[in-house]
This record gives sequence, C-alpha cells and structure tokens, in this order.
Amino acid sequence: MNLHSPATYLSLLTFLPAAAAVVVCFLPKDQDEFVKKWTLGATVVAFLLSLGMLVGWPGIAFQIGEPGMQHVFSVDWIPSFQVHYMMGIDGISLPLVVLTTLISMLAMGASWPITKHVKAYCMLFLLLETGMIGVFLALDFFLFYVFWEVMLLPMYFLIGVWGGPRREYAAIKFFLFTLFGSVLMLIALLMLYYSSDLRPLDAGLLAEVGISQTDIEAIQAADTPQHTFNLLALQELGQTTDQFKNRLAGKTYEWWAFLLLFVGFVIKVPSVPLHTWLPDAHVEAPTPISMILAGILLKMGGYGLLRIAYPICPEAAYDLAMFVCTLGVVSMVYGAFAALAQTDFKRLVAYSSISHMGYVVLGLGVWSATAGTDYNPDYWKMGMNGALFQMIAHGISSAGMFFMVGLLYDRVHHRDLNQFGGIFGKMPLSSGLAIGIFFAGLGLPGLCGFIGEFFVVLATWKFSIPLAVVSAAVVILTAGYILWTLQRVYLGADYTGPHAEALTPITKRELSIAAPLLALALLFGVYPRALLDTMEPSVSQTVERLAEWKERDDQAKETRQDSGKTTRQARRLTNHHQQQLTTPSP
Amino acid sequence: MDLQTWLPLLLGLAWLLPLASFAIVSIGGSLPQIQGHHASYRSQKIAGVVASAACGASFLLSLLAMAIWLTNHPLGAEHPGGHPGTAHAPPHYSGDFYSLASFGDLHLAIGYYIDTLTVTMFCMVTLIATCVHVYSWGYMHEELADVVDNEVATRDGKALHRPGRYHRFFQYLSLFTFSMLGVVIAGNLAMVFVFWELVGICSYFLIGFYIERPSATNAANKAFIVNRVGDFGMLIGLMTLWSSLGTLHFDQIFPQLAEPASAGGLSYPLLVVAGIGLFCGCIGKSAQFPLHTWLPDAMEGPTPVSALVHSATMVAAGVYLVGRCYPIFVPEVLLVIAVVGAITLAMAATIAITAVDIKRVLAYSTISQLGYMMLSLGLGGWVAGLFHLITHAFFKSLLFLCSGSVIHAVHTNDLREMGGLRKKMPWTAYTMLVGCLAIIGAGVPAWGIGFSGFFSKDAILEQAWSFAGANPAPVYGLLLWVPVAGAMLTALYMFRLWYLTFAGEPRNADRYAHAHESPLSMIAPLVLLATLAVSIGWVWPFSELSVTSLLEQARPAGTQETVQGEWLSSLTIPDEHLSHAPEIQVPAGWTTFSAAMGGLLLATMTYLWKWLRAEEIRQSFRPIHSFLWNQWWFDELYDWTLVKPTLWLSRFFASIDHWLIDPLVHGITHVSRLVARLLDSLLDRRAIDGSLHTLADQTWNTGLSLRQLQSGSLRQYVLFLVAGTLGLFAVASLYWKFAVAG
Repeated sequence: MNLHSPATYLSLLTFLPAAAAVVVCFLPKDQDEFVKKWTLGATVVAFLLSLGMLVGWPGIAFQIGEPGMQHVFSVDWIPSFQVHYMMGIDGISLPLVVLTTLISMLAMGASWPITKHVKAYCMLFLLLETGMIGVFLALDFFLFYVFWEVMLLPMYFLIGVWGGPRREYAAIKFFLFTLFGSVLMLIALLMLYYSSDLRPLDAGLLAEVGISQTDIEAIQAADTPQHTFNLLALQELGQTTDQFKNRLAGKTYEWWAFLLLFVGFVIKVPSVPLHTWLPDAHVEAPTPISMILAGILLKMGGYGLLRIAYPICPEAAYDLAMFVCTLGVVSMVYGAFAALAQTDFKRLVAYSSISHMGYVVLGLGVWSATAGTDYNPDYWKMGMNGALFQMIAHGISSAGMFFMVGLLYDRVHHRDLNQFGGIFGKMPLSSGLAIGIFFAGLGLPGLCGFIGEFFVVLATWKFSIPLAVVSAAVVILTAGYILWTLQRVYLGADYTGPHAEALTPITKRELSIAAPLLALALLFGVYPRALLDTMEPSVSQTVERLAEWKERDDQAKETRQDSGKTTRQARRLTNHHQQQLTTPSP
Repeated sequence: MDLQTWLPLLLGLAWLLPLASFAIVSIGGSLPQIQGHHASYRSQKIAGVVASAACGASFLLSLLAMAIWLTNHPLGAEHPGGHPGTAHAPPHYSGDFYSLASFGDLHLAIGYYIDTLTVTMFCMVTLIATCVHVYSWGYMHEELADVVDNEVATRDGKALHRPGRYHRFFQYLSLFTFSMLGVVIAGNLAMVFVFWELVGICSYFLIGFYIERPSATNAANKAFIVNRVGDFGMLIGLMTLWSSLGTLHFDQIFPQLAEPASAGGLSYPLLVVAGIGLFCGCIGKSAQFPLHTWLPDAMEGPTPVSALVHSATMVAAGVYLVGRCYPIFVPEVLLVIAVVGAITLAMAATIAITAVDIKRVLAYSTISQLGYMMLSLGLGGWVAGLFHLITHAFFKSLLFLCSGSVIHAVHTNDLREMGGLRKKMPWTAYTMLVGCLAIIGAGVPAWGIGFSGFFSKDAILEQAWSFAGANPAPVYGLLLWVPVAGAMLTALYMFRLWYLTFAGEPRNADRYAHAHESPLSMIAPLVLLATLAVSIGWVWPFSELSVTSLLEQARPAGTQETVQGEWLSSLTIPDEHLSHAPEIQVPAGWTTFSAAMGGLLLATMTYLWKWLRAEEIRQSFRPIHSFLWNQWWFDELYDWTLVKPTLWLSRFFASIDHWLIDPLVHGITHVSRLVARLLDSLLDRRAIDGSLHTLADQTWNTGLSLRQLQSGSLRQYVLFLVAGTLGLFAVASLYWKFAVAG
C-alpha cells in the first residue's frame, strides 16, 4: 500500500472504520470488552491518520496557507453518468475531518457503559464514521450524496435500538426529517447535473477541477452536453456560465436548486422551523451518539451550504441572503428562549445547539460584498470564517456538554434539572470540567465559543443593522440559560434527586474524554489562529470568488441595462420621428 | 532605554504573573482531586503565598515601569495637548503581542496601549490587589480547614459541613487580577471586550464563592447577566466602530475619528451610536443607573472581594473605559454620561442612608462615587474623574477591608447589632475613620490641605461649577446642585455608618463580648491603605509628581478645548483647565466643604449626640423611608417587566414546538399513511393481488426455505443491510458500465 499517494491515503482514512466494522462481525460474541477496545483502536487509528496530514507525511502533508483543493484524485466509478470516485481536501474540510475522527474517538471512549448488543453497536458506529468522513472528503456530488445516505441508516439504528424510552419515535422522526432533506438534495442534484455542460470550460480549467487528460479530450471532442457531478466543476459553471439560468415558474433553475439545497441542509443544521427532530433525537440517543450528533452531524448542514449551495448557486444565494440570515437569527433567538424553558438537561443542551448553530447560518449569509461597499469582501470573510470556526467550536463544546450530561445520567439515571443541585460538593473535578465546557458554550472569551460568535456578530452589522442588534442581544439569553442551569445542577448545598449514593467521582476514562475537550476549547479560545491558519485561506477564497462573481454580475447587468436603455431611447426616438411624420406640421 | 521594548515587557510580565499563579494554583488544587482527596492544609497555605507573591511581584514591576516612564517622560516637560487646537496624542506606546485573526485588511489582536494612565492604573490595581491578598490570609483562614456554614441548612436541618476552599479563593483572585490588568493594558477594544467578560466571570466566581448559599449563587448570576445586558450595548458600539473604521486598535481609532466622514471617519449619528453603545457596557460594569442593581447583591461574596473587585478595581473599569475612549464621545454623548452619573449618584446616596447592612451601605456608596466619576467625565472633567477613580480605589478598599475586619469580629453584617466597637478594635475603628474622612472629602479649602478625597471631589465640583457657568440654562444647573447635595448625603451616610458601628453603646452585648481586634495580616494592609487614603491626592514633596500631573500627561488629544454640541448647539463642554480659575475654585471649594460639613453635622446630631431621633424621622417620613428601604423598588420592577416576561416568552417559544410544529409534522405523516393505505386497498389488493396470488404461493415456499436466515439477531440484519446495499451498488455500476454505456 502506497501511503504517499493521496488516493490511497484518503480512501484508507475513509474506509478504515468500515473495514474494522467488517472485522467486528467475525469477532467472538461474548468478548464485549475486546470488541469495544478493537473499535476504539480503529477510531484512534483513524484519528491519527487524519492528524497525519497535519504533521506532514511526505506526499500527503497538507499545505497550510494554500487556499485551493489539495490531494485531489478522481477515479471513474459510473462512467456512463460521469460519476467519479473523487476526493480531496482543503482548509474547509480538513478541520472538519479531524473534528470527526476526534469526536468519534472520544465518543467511542464514552461508549463503555453500553452493554446491549455491543457488536452491532460497534459495527454501526464504525460505519457511521466512514459515512461522516466520506461526506467531508467527497468532491463528487453523487459520492457526497451516497455518503450522506450511508450515514443516515446507522444513525437511525443507533438511536432506535440503544436509545431511551421514546427511542422509536425519535429515530423515525430523525429518519423522516433527514430523508426529506436528502430527497430535496437529490432533486437539486439532478437539476444541476442535467443542466451542466463541461464543454464551455477550457482545458486548463478542466484540469484544475481534477478531470483527467483523456476525459478532457473526450469532453472537448463531444458534440452533446457533457454533464458532471464534479463539485469543483459545478462551482465553476455556477459562477462563470449561464447554464443554471433556465427559468422554471418565474425563477431560475439555480434559484430553485439553491432553495432545495438550502432546505435540505438546514434540516441538518438544524434551523427553526425544521428543528424539532433534534431535541427528541438528543433526548433519546445514548450519550456517545448525542456527542456525534451534536458534534459532527449538525456540521454537515453548514458544510453543505459552504461547499455546495453557495459556490454553485451564487445568484440565488445573493437573492436569498436576507432570508438565510434572518433564519439564522430566528434560530438563535428561538433556540435560546426555548432552552430557557426546558427542565430536561439534555433537551436544554439540544436547544442550545439550535441557538448556537444559528450563528453558523447567519455567518455564512452575511453577504456584505456589494456595490455599496465597493465589493469589499473582508467583513463577509470574517462572517464566514466565524461560521466555520463556530462549527468546530460547537463541535467541541456541545460534544463536551452532552458528555457531561451523560456522565451524570450514568450515575443517577435522570435528567430533571429541578432534581439536581450540590453536585460540585460531591464531584468537584467533573463539575469544574463541566463548568469550563459550559462556559465555552456560553461564549466566554478565552474559550472557543467566543471567537466564532464574536466574529459572526461583528461581521453582521455591515450586512444588516437590525439583524446585528438582535444577534448581539442573544448573548444575554445565552448567559441566562447556561448560568441558570449551572446553578440548578452544580451549585447549591444539596443534591435533591434520587440515587444520591451513586454520585461517585469522575473516573480516569471519563476524565480522559472531558479533559481533552476542555483543553481544545481553551487552545482555540486563546489562540484561534491554531485553527484559522488552516481554514482561513480556503474560506476567504470562497468568499473572494463570490464577491468577484457579484462584481462581474453587476457589471453585466449594467451593460445589459445600458444597452436596454439605448434601445428604448432609440425606440422613443423612432416614435417621435413617426409622430412628427404623421402630425401635419403647422 | 528603549521604552517600546521595555514597557510592554515589564507590564506584560506584571500582567501575566497572576495568570501563572492562577495556573499553578488551579492545577495544584485539582491534582489531589484526581486521587479523590482534597488539597491539604499546607498546599492551600502555599497557594495563598504563591498568589500573593505573584501579585506583589506585579506591583514591583509596575513601579519599575512607572520609574522608567517618569525618567523618560518627565512630568510637566511635555504638554501634549497643551496648545488649544492641536490634536496631538499624548505619549504612548502601542503594538501587538500576537494576532488573533486577520481577514483582508481587518486585524484582531492581543496587544497593548501604554500611556501614563495605563501605568498609573497598573500601580493602583496591583498595589490594592496585593493588600487584599495579604488581608485575605487572615480573613479567609477559616477556609483552611473543614468549614461549618451556618447560613446553609442541609435537608436534614443541620448546618452544612464542607471542605475548605482557601486555595480556590486565591485562584480566583489571581485570575481576576490578570483579567483586570488585561482590561487596562488592552491595545484595542476587542481585547478590552475579552477581558471585560473575563473580569465579569471572575466576579461571578467570587460573588458565588459560597456556592452552597442560594443567595450567593443568585447574586452571582444576577451580576453576570446584568453585566451582559450592558455588554450587549457595548457590542453594538464595537460593531459600529468596526464596520465604519475597520479597526478597533486605539492608536488607529483616535486619529481616524479626527477625520471627516468622507475620509474614513464616522458620521455624527454613528458616533453617537458608538459612544452610547460603549457607554452601555460601562453602565453595566460600573453599576450605573439603570443597571446598578447587581452591585448591592454582589456583597454576598467574601469581603476582600468586595474591596478589590466590587469597589476599587472592576467596577471602576467602566469609568476607566470611558476615560480611555474619551475621543470617541461627542458632546451629546458626554451629556448622557453626565446625566446618568448624576442620577446614579443621587439615587444610590439616598438608598445608602437607610441601609442597615454595613456592606450594602458601602456598596451604595460605591455606586454613588462611581456616579461622581461618570458625571465628571461627562462634564469634561477628564482628569478630575479619573483622579477620583484613583483616590476612591484607595479609600473605598480601605473602608471595605475595615468593614471586613468588623464582620470578622462580630460575625454579622447588621449595623443594628453593632455599636461601641472602637474600644474593642481601635485599629479598625480609626483607620475606618480615616476612610470616612477621605470619602467625604474632608479638608480645609483655605489652606488647600486635606484627605485624598478632598482634592478629587473638589476637582469634580469645580468642573461642575465651570460647566454650569458655561451653560446658563437652569436645567444644566441641576448637574451642579445634584453632586453638591450628594456630597452632603455622602457625609451623612458614611458617618451614620461609622457612629452606628464604633460609637455609642454596644447594641448586642453577646456579639460585643466576642469581638476582638483582627490579626496583623489584616491590620497591616489597613494601615497602609489608610496612609494612602490620606496622601494619595498630595503632590510628592519637592517635585511635580502627583496623580493629577500623571493623569494630565495622559490627557487624550482634543480634550483641551471647549467643545460645542452639534445637535444641541446650546451645549458647551468647557475646557477642564478653565475650572482651575480662582473665581471657580474658591466658591466651589467652599460649597463642597459646607455641604460635607452639613452632612457630617446631621449625622453627628442624629447618631452621636442623639438630638434628632432616627426612629422619629423614619416614622414621619414613612413612605419615603419605605421607598428608600426597598431600594426604589428596582428589583421588583425589573422582575415584573423583564425577568418574568422573558420566562413567559421562553415558555411560549418552547410550546410552539410542542403545540404547533410537532402536531404539523405528525399530521403530515398521518395523512401520508392514510393515502398509502388507500392506494394499498384500492389498487394493490383488488387489481394486482388477485393475479399475484398464485405467485405468492410459490414465494411462500421459497420463503420457508429462507427462514433460517431470520435469526432475529440484529447484528445479522445490519450485516445483510450493508452487504445488500454494497451489492446493489456494484450490480448497478456494472450494469451501467456494460449495458447502458455499452
């Protein structure tokens, strides 16, 4: 195996968990402990592989500061439909891949209390990891879609079999919502595919988007439209050609595709009003699955918007920018208010996720690079970087929050906020960690949550002042529900719920899950460049290209208007002339 | 000596030492917990010493920085803004420690902006912090062993027993000192905001230090959340500046503000928004009306915390920030600042008269004095306001530490249970008397000598006098007479406090009998602070060195002129130097003096000589007394207008999910299931099934043979599922490859 080739390396990274899952079925049935260790080992290896790109493996070392796509490879998969097995990595996907492998590893560590059908659990868990990594690495829309669906099924079972009392309801709800989103995505995928044509792109560009030399020759020689699923090519087509501008019910294909993609992705984010699956799924899911759900799955919505919806459909994205941002702000406010009213600890954290992910949607959408600002993309860059930073930060803090909830639940088997109190006195260390992690969620400076929120909020003013004001006001509500929760659970004199005797100190295993999360929250909060250096160039490039597109588009419209004006003028002149001709001169 | 290298190094070190101490203490305190025990007596003791040493070292470094500064920038030699009409920045050094992020031309960084004000604040903060650290060795010593907290009853009705948390206290104090110094050294507003929030969270930890007491945790939450309301405004101010100027660095903002809007400056309305926004943050942090309600509750924290955080340093950060950002504020915003300050100082002073909790009296007095500072800054008295900040820090921390000493001795905060304590604890009593004299501004105007508060309060009143002279409209006159009346009230409530505590006969014999003077580690800081409370306003002998001359050197560009409002054209903010004219200084000085003496006399007549009976006064002014006793009903008002509606709203939002969205989703699924069943019965069963029944029989037989696969094991199902999916894909791709594509 040649680990210096990106194709091998990225495939290995993606499919290693799946391969480990296959091995799991042949492991003996009664060796639960060994199965868990094996699975944990696989997730550790996957994590190390994802880190390998950072520390610099010859050939697959990730070039930090390089904005473009790296390690791109493409292999024919279903040639008749131009489906390729194509992957690559850039500053947007790398942090998400590392987050995925990290959270998976920690979540597997948090899976030790699971005793029911351990083998099946581990298999599904590993399969899920493959799906998640694949989504972030895929550069072919069809492949992306396949991985997206691969993720869905294990998640359904993991909630539906290992969940709480209402697990079946929650699992089906999750499944239906997500499936609905996928169907919308599928429609958009087909719309874009059948409208696309690679022939207008020149050879250099085609090579740049990862199309092989023989294919390029075939494309250039073809006399029928050459459709594509290649995401990079679709981005290029969306930004430089009119291929997606066919009209349907008064709007362009592009507009409809964006809407479908947007709805599909924000279900995953989730945004109000498509969010109700999330609290139910979280409440019923076992702790490690909640960690994965909040830590990684929610990020796929944001990733999809950033990688697919915005770059491919810029015109629609610009048209709907206000709608997108408003939805983000509504989620922030709605989630925060709803969190304040919860009495179930996990439900509260779930609503806080909705509120925090609202920042992501808002940050992506603050398109302030317009004629009014002379197409200055800097503020939007800040917003979009803030959004991606917030995704990572939320991945860390929410996974940590769910873990800390689970840690208590494992001991006392309830989550009623009104039946806690005094935990600090009994479990000082874990309470300290929990308070740190919750403060990261609160957006306290020095911890990761602050950076993303601060960037997004600061960037919003340039786009819309009312939205900026409302989003800034959310900091009050966030402080309110987090502090109130901490007070009800950790502070106070007495624990008021059942099983007080079970409140034993944190174990080493639990410590080794919570402590790294807090340490990362601290690192990214104090030195955000640790993350930004990797992701900023790629995100900023995306923004710059969209800003350039906007400038080109405005110029094109202007010339069109000018020419329109001249024809109108000409017509008026002719009319005038005719009138002169018909009216008899005095 | 290269100041551009040395100053950031020295002050940066002074800033980071407390952080190092925080890290050491928190890790050292957590390690035993991994093993499941608590920190030992000895290690807790060491924690106290480490934190205090770090703080003391910071103070020495700050003094060194001050010395270096003064040798390079002799006082009086430069009058940076001295020539009216020149916008010449005061001497300063700025730069970045490290970058947080940059997007195109936008940069955010952790950096420094050092001028005389920074260095002065560093010395003040670290000195008081060191005193408070040392004082806490004595005050917190009960926390070294297991503690019985009588204020908390557990469920079985007994008093709470818990392990001591001595090291935690020092851990938070260190973090606080670090954060506070971060606010002071900050080179840009984003960094100010970062440390602004961090001091807030330290305050939260310290107010809620007794985490078992519901009153303490409630107060901690309240403090943080109310502060966040202010921070919301501050964020708006930051957004305005950031979006218009593209920078938050002080050394870039100030020159840009001087430019017209077309050349990169701000338009006037935006300047007003930015100014008011920033001031909102200061309202929250400095407990100004209408966000002052958190500060009295914050007294739930241990008393050294009240001395350091909630009187001398953190709450003064709002005033500091107004002073630091002074060039941003236009005259209309300054008027808002002055009005808020005036309302605050009057309101808090009236409440302080009726309060019976010794710490609450001091808390309201703090609010009132902060109101003076804001008023002064708002009226154009930049040096006067910040001068009062410095003097107030010393005498107010002294007063709080004295009250702590009293509480330590009698184990109650209630003034009604004290009395006559000067015989038992003379050191405390007389150092506190010094504090009281300093806060009322005792001094002799004719000779120009007095306690520190005398100089700073006089300076404020002079500026108010000068302002009232420049703005003849009667309504502006209020901004002069309110602080004068406030001076009288200050003397009244402070001496009421002193008499009730130390003079007369003991009102609770039992508590009196157990009272004792505090240990040396508590007395020594009191004496040091008392000395400074007397002398910090003086000029260093045989030199020009004084707090005012230091501040004068830091005076921001553009405050040397008398300015006119643009919207309120009648509004004039007079040049501060004009207030030094004798025709203002003399009457202002005597007015303040008489006001203070009037208040002192009233207090003496009521509480010492008992010519007036407090009880009778209370009876005859019952409605007013009840209004003041209930602190103007602010808490109830906010509870009904803000807190409760928020909770209602939150329940409303949560119920939308439950009653609207979810039923909708369920409805859709029900409808689709109905449709499916309908299709099923109409089409499948009748039309198709009939013909298929024969086929079904065949399938049945096949099914029987496949039955063995139905093992009921979930694992196997999943395996089939996965294998099936993969198989289908493989078949599909092969099919397409060979059949379709040919």
